[in-house]
Amino acid sequence: MPDKAAVEWIRKGKAYFGKKRFKDALRSYDKALAIDPNFAVPYFSKAEVFAEQGQFKEALELCNKAIAIDPNYAEAWSKKGLCLFSLEKFDEALTACTRALALNGNDPMAWYIKGVSLDELGKSVEAQEAFGKSLELEIILDMEAEKKKMGR
Amino acid sequence: MIGTVPIAKPVRKFVYHAEELLGTEIVIARDRDAPLAGTLLDRYTYPVENEYIVFPAHYVGLIKDFIIAKLTLTLLIKGAAAKRGEYRVLSFNEESVYAGLRQIYLDALKDEAKKEKKLPVNKLIEMLFLLFMHFHEDLNELPWNPVVNTGVYIKIPKIRKTQLYYLMKEGKEDMDEMMQQMDIIPRRYFVFSKAMFYGRDYFLAKTLPADELVPVINIPQMKKFNHLEVKEMLTTRWTHTAWYQSKVFGDSMLQIMDGSIINDWNANPDLDYYYNLYSIIKRLTDNLLSYMFMTQWYVWEPVKHLEDAMLNKGEYEQKALKRIFGDLIL
Repeated sequence: MPDKAAVEWIRKGKAYFGKKRFKDALRSYDKALAIDPNFAVPYFSKAEVFAEQGQFKEALELCNKAIAIDPNYAEAWSKKGLCLFSLEKFDEALTACTRALALNGNDPMAWYIKGVSLDELGKSVEAQEAFGKSLELEIILDMEAEKKKMGR
Repeated sequence: MIGTVPIAKPVRKFVYHAEELLGTEIVIARDRDAPLAGTLLDRYTYPVENEYIVFPAHYVGLIKDFIIAKLTLTLLIKGAAAKRGEYRVLSFNEESVYAGLRQIYLDALKDEAKKEKKLPVNKLIEMLFLLFMHFHEDLNELPWNPVVNTGVYIKIPKIRKTQLYYLMKEGKEDMDEMMQQMDIIPRRYFVFSKAMFYGRDYFLAKTLPADELVPVINIPQMKKFNHLEVKEMLTTRWTHTAWYQSKVFGDSMLQIMDGSIINDWNANPDLDYYYNLYSIIKRLTDNLLSYMFMTQWYVWEPVKHLEDAMLNKGEYEQKALKRIFGDLIL
């Protein structure tokens, strides 16, 4: 079980991240790591911040750290796929996304990265299948977002 | 291209093509609060140095790619017209506002005479400018839609499924517009508004091609016309309904679109190609204005003119109302 104080720092970090206050977010995640260095989530959360700023090498390293702690961390695998795609390592991106999807088949981003990676590798037919799955999930998200909007 | 989001290869190539042709750099960004259709901030419309394409943050895959493709083509068309010094938008001035408000008022009077429950005078007066601005907005946007969508469909075939989903959703949303005001606004304008969307959806249904976009299949209120015989449709029961009239006018608008949107889509995509698309949009807008007897309502002017007009719109409205109602308006 993760330390409560570390979880609280992650919650704060997410709030900063939502407001694009990246430095504050990173500081919060570091505090969480200082409390519990074997907690995978802050590594992944830091990776999100770096990826958002286009620092994919740094983000990739952090994803690897998160995965080293928790090999079944689906979101970390998915983000790793994104980083590898952005670094134009399409083969490796494909492997990471396949792993992410084995852990969570309902991740539209992982399906999308799988699709674009396959497309880059010239595997158009397989890419279309992955895109189809990604679109299906994205439509569900879209409908949920609209419901929220109407509820506002 | 500046941005950190992954983008599918054909769309990315299209963005690079736009950057090269227009000599600019496009910033692609996501934002939680962006409108569902995305936003294009371009130097031809706003005081910005780079072009910005912003899409809603919850779109992570192909829907995002479609929005980027659509806005990139919009940018190319605007840019091509601007580079020739010919980019114009529909604007308005004191005289055109008067022409529009007067026409709407006369039509409203005809409608009100037939109504049992009359609209309060203050509401009727308020409605005039709202309706004028509603059509201004629609006519500045709608003619772009069939042209841009056809372009994306032809240029980027890999995202067609996504495009179809997006268009079905858009069609339904547009048809929902004005529904709450249906009994308030003059019938003629409700019908025109619906007919424009009907024409657009039908045009796209034929172009894509996709039966799901045909309004008599896609729009709940129009479904009843799908299998109706002509003889049955011509009975008073149907001909008096706003939706039947929307269908009839919509069929004419479809003809206008068919006649206006003629292009060699596979020609070399240089600046002339995109300028030609701009000319098509302008021609389509003029033809729709003419069909709806609104040619006096709006004027083609540079963006700056519209910015100024928006600042002065309150004054234009008041002056027009004064001319129509005289001292009754204080």
